[in-house]
Amino acid sequence: MTMLAIEGLKVRYGAVEALKGISLQVGQGEVVTLIGGNGAGKSTLMRAIGGLVKIANGTIRFEGDDITGIRGHDCVRLGIGHSPEGRLVFGDQSVRDNLVLGAYARRDEDGIARDIERYFGVFPRLSERQDQLAGTLSGGEQQMLAIARALMARPKLLLLDEPSLGLAPLIVREVFSVIRRLREEGMTILLVEQMANQALAIADRAYVIETGTITLEGTGAELLRDERVRSAYLGA
Amino acid sequence: MTAFLQALASGLALGAIYGLIALGFNITYATTKTFNFGQGAFLVPGSLVGVSLLLLAVGKPHFGNLTQAEMTMTAYVLATIASVVVVGAIGIALYYCAIKPFVGAGGLNWVLSTIGFGIIMQNTALAIWGPASIAVPSPLGSEVWRIAGAGIRPQEVLIAVVAVAVMVGLDIVLRKTRFGKALRAVAFNPQAAAIVGINVETIVILAFVISSALAGLAGILIAPITTASVFIGLGIALKAFSAAIVGGLTSPRGCMLGGFLLGVVEALVGLWRAEMREITIFLLIIIVLVVRPSGLMGARSVEKI
Repeated sequence: MTMLAIEGLKVRYGAVEALKGISLQVGQGEVVTLIGGNGAGKSTLMRAIGGLVKIANGTIRFEGDDITGIRGHDCVRLGIGHSPEGRLVFGDQSVRDNLVLGAYARRDEDGIARDIERYFGVFPRLSERQDQLAGTLSGGEQQMLAIARALMARPKLLLLDEPSLGLAPLIVREVFSVIRRLREEGMTILLVEQMANQALAIADRAYVIETGTITLEGTGAELLRDERVRSAYLGA
Repeated sequence: MTAFLQALASGLALGAIYGLIALGFNITYATTKTFNFGQGAFLVPGSLVGVSLLLLAVGKPHFGNLTQAEMTMTAYVLATIASVVVVGAIGIALYYCAIKPFVGAGGLNWVLSTIGFGIIMQNTALAIWGPASIAVPSPLGSEVWRIAGAGIRPQEVLIAVVAVAVMVGLDIVLRKTRFGKALRAVAFNPQAAAIVGINVETIVILAFVISSALAGLAGILIAPITTASVFIGLGIALKAFSAAIVGGLTSPRGCMLGGFLLGVVEALVGLWRAEMREITIFLLIIIVLVVRPSGLMGARSVEKI
């Protein structure tokens, strides 16, 4: 079943067309990755799905419903969780309060408390630092917090925008093991990454985006073998 | 010594008023990087609306004078609630007229729009109430309380108690409640707040309602000391603005501290030479800002240009 279906999506920043008609699908339980260079439009696409930028043209359907132009704060209520580029954790609030805020759209106090304990189990570092201000965490810890915060909304679709950005190789491996674990639990994930190697290895399917256009698509394994992808993104 | 205690008491009361208004500047600045430059005008309906409702209730014209017997504590509490609610509601109009069209667009249009909104409000009040000031009796009476030999006006005690209670309450709300965490999340990063499902505009409107309501509260609290009139706001709001800057516009606790500091300094210097009051205060402000540009408790961040 298709969870997310995007058709001919265009986004403009002033005179610049950042997305020039993107179409892609994410099926339920799939991990789909989007690779591409700086400024290719990866994050713009994520922000468009998350209702954070104005859409000039095209449609976004989520579970069959047209959600084009929906406001950001309503997106999460539909079941779209977003771990944004740059993490954007609430630096002046505690780790625990960041998780509480992640569940802002929910009202089941007991369930929220249970989920906080659950993610403290998944991310023991966050548990150790639960009373610390999020701004004092390391980059890797902030990334874990951003993912946990997104999961606190109990999303059906998780948007992961550049989770490895600026992290040391060892920490990147940790982040990917978390993504693998989420995938095993059946989470549907749309992953944007510059670390094309790891991203393709983990993905069921993948799209290559260049200057606002999808130029290639296929299974993760296919793109890993693709000559153009290898020379442009894998440094081979 | 008794004169010193008396001055200290009035300073703390006045400082509490500055602190309340400064806190209002902090809340909207944190969420929108704007605040109401016309806040002084919001003290005007604060002082007049509640009192006029009491006047009407006892069958007098709305711009008359209340007798002490008519100003019971119940009446004062009801008047305060009315003022806070009305001025809080005006905060919604302020947001839609003077903030929303300009926020996030860069530039300083919001400065002029909020000043303009305040002038419109003040002149509307002038049309309704006229230029005369209305004497407002304190619900605690006019007889001074003798504390350690010093004569302290009961209204000053009432102001300090109410203001501190409101400040502590608001501090707890901002730190502990769902609304408070959401407001701080919006202040930290509106996009991140939207991502977790916070309706940023709703929070911003509530920030302006709280900010305006605080000015309304300040208006009715200070009315028994200054009288209620169309002209009470500007001087007080300017000091409150200074208090916010000195304490740190980004820190709620800093704003409260700045308020008390300015109030006390003003009263104590006034004890010595009245004409030195403003000179000392504004010299002090300049010195503080040179030494600590973001205020005593403000976040030491550099704004990106």
